[in-house]
Amino acid sequence: MAPMWRLPTLAAALALLLAAPAGRAADEANGRGRELWGFCQQCHGADGGGTPLYLAPSIAGLPTWYVERELRNFHEGIRGTHFDDVSGMRMRPMALWLRTDADIVAVAGYVASLPPVKPAPVLAGGSAAAGAALYAPCIACHGADGRGNEQLGAPPLTHASDWYMLTQLQHFKQGVRGSDPRDVKGALMVPMAKLLPDEQAMKNVIAYITTLEP
Amino acid sequence: MIAKYLVAASTSAGKIDFIIEVIFWVVIVFWFVLAEATFFWFLLRFRKRDGVPARYITGEKASERRWIVVVPGLVLLCDLAIMGLDGPVWYEVKQSLPAAQQTVRIVGQQWAWSFVHPGPDGRLDTADDIKTVDDLHVQVNTRYHFKLVSRDVLHSFSVPVFRLKQDAIPGRVITGWFEPTTTGTFDIQCVEICGVGHGLMPARIIIETPEQHAAWMTGRAAGRIALASAAPLAGD
Repeated sequence: MAPMWRLPTLAAALALLLAAPAGRAADEANGRGRELWGFCQQCHGADGGGTPLYLAPSIAGLPTWYVERELRNFHEGIRGTHFDDVSGMRMRPMALWLRTDADIVAVAGYVASLPPVKPAPVLAGGSAAAGAALYAPCIACHGADGRGNEQLGAPPLTHASDWYMLTQLQHFKQGVRGSDPRDVKGALMVPMAKLLPDEQAMKNVIAYITTLEP
Repeated sequence: MIAKYLVAASTSAGKIDFIIEVIFWVVIVFWFVLAEATFFWFLLRFRKRDGVPARYITGEKASERRWIVVVPGLVLLCDLAIMGLDGPVWYEVKQSLPAAQQTVRIVGQQWAWSFVHPGPDGRLDTADDIKTVDDLHVQVNTRYHFKLVSRDVLHSFSVPVFRLKQDAIPGRVITGWFEPTTTGTFDIQCVEICGVGHGLMPARIIIETPEQHAAWMTGRAAGRIALASAAPLAGD
């Protein structure tokens, strides 16, 4: 029989197990997704919060439909095959490493199950006040709260890395992203990015987006 | 011999194969077999025998000194002979730079190879340049200079059918040359560990006839014109 002093320890351990994070159930149900995530986390971080040094954005908690779509875009060369898409070219071979569509679905499900992480700001010089007005056209698809809209194919922005949003806005504007005729959703962003006249305007709207609470 | 297993598709490939074959026959077939045969013969000749005590060999007798003077001397002679053969090949492939008929830029990055081809004007860094990712298009029997750069870390540009391997170093523009001799599509690899995606950055070199190359260039130019005319509709 266990000594009496061990009982509180056992009870505490049991309580900890029962109080495991909400993602744990999804985690266990999606063993393949978790296995594949081991590869992703080398750049995106164990919590999926992203690593600017590796040009890997925050992806934790992104909806399954968006992660699946972008992984397929990378897989099919719709994204990550433009000469100036430096970060996209890093991601493309990673997507090619996913050999089957079932793997794409599994890892996207795992990414979606991760608790969203608000990444630390990297950009400086943006004005949220000035960006509020610039955000008006974005509302139509991404919503006033920045939570995105699946029907329109617009991802949530509330946990996006600020440096990543700047890069992607520049890419859309320059035709680095969204110019492939197969990238139907990306093409929608091209004229939107062109509404922002310069980098300062982009920083301003991003500064505003980072104030949005999920 | 090597070309039986891997196509030799450049003017340098046969010369490099010759050096590899010389090294193979001298080092592997001759010296390795001879050394192993001698080793096992010694094991047999000087095995333990009843009534024969072990003794320490000081190596002072002329018959013993031969093994440590003559044999290494012969190895050294073989080394010098190999160096005499590979020196001219090394000079031709790596140190000389014969005049180019075309120049391409090769860009290594984590984890892709991208390329800048001269457009119809035949000159690099002009408005009609053709930029590609993963695919390098070249014309057969044309001498190319390549300007190799890296966007991030060390890479190494390798085209096995050319027997070509050249490191890419961030901050440096490394110039080399090749001349394809066979049409076809062949592998390009990175052969310097460059991060987690190193094994996932294969590309292709497409060696074309002049007609095929011109058709490819025309097709690319047409695509660019189509995209440029579509751009104003997108919001400018």
